[in-house]
Amino acid sequence: MRLLRGVYEGPQSHGILRTATSIRGVHALLRALPGEAYFPTLYGARERTGRMAPVTLSPMRTEPEDSMAPGSLDRDLSGVVRRHPKTEAVVLVRSEASLLREENIPVTSLPEKENRKPTLVTFSWESPGMKETEAAELALEDLIRSQMHETPERSPYPTVNLFGPPIFGPGAAAEYAEAERLLDLIGVEVNARAPLGADARDLGRLPRAWANVLLYREVGESATLFLQDEFGMPRVTTPMIGAAGTGAALRALGELCQLDPKSVQRTIWAELARTAKLPWYARLEPPETFRNRKVAIFGDFTYPLGLGYALAREVGLEVVACGTYLTHLERDFLFHAHTFTEGTFVEEDPEAVAARIEAAEPDLIVGTYLEEGVADSLGVPFLPLCPPAAERPFVERPLMGYAGSSVLADALDNVLRWRTREPAGEAGIRWTDGALQEVASVPPFLRGRARRLAEDRARQRDSEEVTREIFLESRS
Amino acid sequence: MTILNESGIPDVLPPLHAVDALAERFENVLVVVAGTQAEAHLVQCLSAARSQNPSPFRHNPRLVFAVLDPDAPPQQGLLASRIVESAAGMRGTDLVLLVAGRSAESIGVDAAFEARLVARKLDLPAEVVNPDAPREVPGTLSTDLEDGVIAALVNLCPKRRTSDLVQTASPAKRGGLFGGLLGRGREAQDSGDGRPVVLLGGALSPGAAQGLAAELLRAGVEVAGAVPESRIEELPPLGEGTVVAVMDPNLKAAATVAERRGATVVRTLMPIGVDGTARFVQDVAEEAGSRTSEAVRARSAWEDLGALRNRIRGKRIFFAGDTGLEIPLARFLADAGAVVLEVGAPRLDRRFLAAELQALGPDVDVVVAPDYRGQADRIDEARPDVVITSPGLHLPLIARGHLCRSPRDFLEAGLYGYGGARTILELLVHTMERAAALDSLNL
Repeated sequence: MRLLRGVYEGPQSHGILRTATSIRGVHALLRALPGEAYFPTLYGARERTGRMAPVTLSPMRTEPEDSMAPGSLDRDLSGVVRRHPKTEAVVLVRSEASLLREENIPVTSLPEKENRKPTLVTFSWESPGMKETEAAELALEDLIRSQMHETPERSPYPTVNLFGPPIFGPGAAAEYAEAERLLDLIGVEVNARAPLGADARDLGRLPRAWANVLLYREVGESATLFLQDEFGMPRVTTPMIGAAGTGAALRALGELCQLDPKSVQRTIWAELARTAKLPWYARLEPPETFRNRKVAIFGDFTYPLGLGYALAREVGLEVVACGTYLTHLERDFLFHAHTFTEGTFVEEDPEAVAARIEAAEPDLIVGTYLEEGVADSLGVPFLPLCPPAAERPFVERPLMGYAGSSVLADALDNVLRWRTREPAGEAGIRWTDGALQEVASVPPFLRGRARRLAEDRARQRDSEEVTREIFLESRS
Repeated sequence: MTILNESGIPDVLPPLHAVDALAERFENVLVVVAGTQAEAHLVQCLSAARSQNPSPFRHNPRLVFAVLDPDAPPQQGLLASRIVESAAGMRGTDLVLLVAGRSAESIGVDAAFEARLVARKLDLPAEVVNPDAPREVPGTLSTDLEDGVIAALVNLCPKRRTSDLVQTASPAKRGGLFGGLLGRGREAQDSGDGRPVVLLGGALSPGAAQGLAAELLRAGVEVAGAVPESRIEELPPLGEGTVVAVMDPNLKAAATVAERRGATVVRTLMPIGVDGTARFVQDVAEEAGSRTSEAVRARSAWEDLGALRNRIRGKRIFFAGDTGLEIPLARFLADAGAVVLEVGAPRLDRRFLAAELQALGPDVDVVVAPDYRGQADRIDEARPDVVITSPGLHLPLIARGHLCRSPRDFLEAGLYGYGGARTILELLVHTMERAAALDSLNL
């Protein structure tokens, strides 16, 4: 048990729902207490498309058996099939309360409707302690398995599948679109996107493609491994973040699809001249803009690693800390992150993350929306480029591909143009031991702020040092 | 009025969403949400989605999540000692609220025991709030947590009779919300035989209780205080002889706790809308021992609303049902001349709301446990002028071209008392005006 001030990930049911609702033609039946069904509300608030979430609640109730109220799993399942005749697959998701109560879920099959019978997908690995991302990954694999009825023919021309982020990712749809645009330029067609933007029927047609491009490893890893084992489909795993990463991914893909390497390279050069502004920005700025400037990065897996590599190599910032909250990917993360920084860490507690970042004394923080507090308290610029994000833009902007590198260049240009100056006079203020002891009792992510307030108070009172009394006064 | 039970799945915001707003509302309260990752994620996501101003993300330092590991249930007392540690880092904590629902229970946490332990170790009150507490009437309202928190706070009210307290309380301590009002009230009738009145409700619309207290004072009734108060030490005494006036239709649990303490809970209309406020003031005053007639005041209030009523008259309004506030709102709007097509009630406690249901106009249909997909179809068919939506229907209905407001908008704008009646109508009129302005654009 831990006392936390925030969480980076949701529970496993949330992860499954994110994967399931990303795919058209999939309807989820959520077995949960009425008080746990927050997904539809969140779906509306985050997506803002006006579509109703393809999720139906099957409430756990303690009511007499003969009541016709919803709550009987069998009846609710057939209700879903009846109400949503176009559904290809029904996913049964169990909430934490349902799993904790060890409810017995009878193995049912779905009723037929107009000679079509949707597949029922249940997950045997669900457990109340599992987290969102891991569950999303396993759910995608199981969904693909469930739709794999026959092996389709390989397409006559080179095609690939894109495995990207699920819904609620910041600019998730834009990432797919940018990757598709680049693939189109080198002459490779996209067979299917998964999970976001896929149709349930697309999942059965995945083996048509020649290769799988893994944009977002967190969710696509086990699905692409399954396709590799089962159908011998090779995959490209280089994160398409930054110009170098994107180029490497395109070249690797060109090789897999037996494209002419020279023509791929020509396309890359053309894009570097036209779209990719990150290398151009790095050359344009004087080296002083980047020299001795430290950045701390925190997020999931693909984004911190991709951004860390791009910021360290392509831009030339010093990455002083790079962390992830995905504890189940710890080894892989540390392995990759060590190529560009010494300050790697894996941490789930936002307060501990804040402490790590604070200790690294960065000049810029790239993180999830939970890191905004520590950036604010340190008084350094902040870029919320990693999921989870609180933003819900109407115009989605990619962070991957060449267009994404330009988005990154713009973001950096905005925050690095002004150098953080030490406020005058701050150096002159001393802290007494008593005051420092009090600071230690303040939660780390509030500490910087508390310090500033105390120093302001000391200045107001013309005191040359922050005493315990002044500190307490500033806190009251 | 017809009551129909649809036995559907109502679309209700999970009650836990209010944790964040409640933690903001009270000063010096440490709120600990114990549960799985799901509870913590729910609270965080919904408060981020609800927030008007998401940037910069500010986490309330007085809200902490105890994320329990289902595979390794904590030992008894561990939760308590962690809470004690985290309370030690915070200055001036007056109360610990432990929000623990069904999943904490399934993992094997005895919340009541942990709270007692916290109370003993910290020498502070610690109360358990169970968002999944079983209720007599089935169903969930999005405001159930407010009810639970107010019930916990009622438990914390001092038990002494107010008459004893009036002599002992030092005037300096009375700096709170009711300081000014109380002072005047007491001087006027210090030895009167009126019974002290305590207002219950308005947890998330600050200032609501103050407005109603002023209204009651005008009717010659002294208000001893309200639950909740922002500070715990300002909670009024509540016990035998106290008259408890309930402001919200969802406060069944809180009212029951008050009754169990020996207080008299006035069964009347909620102070929402003109007639509701008038009946509320009249009945509360009568219970408190002072006779008053609000007829004149109500008539002039209706006259003041004349222009607004003309704009509302004949407008068709559909209530999807989420907070429980829909029933008094519908009652008022029907009185004001609107046509109420349907009032959804995810949970309907007929006994507790008897007065409200009686006052509901003859043409209003109440649908208990409405099915939200069915509601969406009915709304499409009836094409109401305004839909007071539930959270999951809000965006889909706007996308289908309906004019929507959330019941929470009314709560935030302040819907109590005579002033609130005007606010309700203005909110609706502004909504329709804005829609008309947008419709007239040539896009």
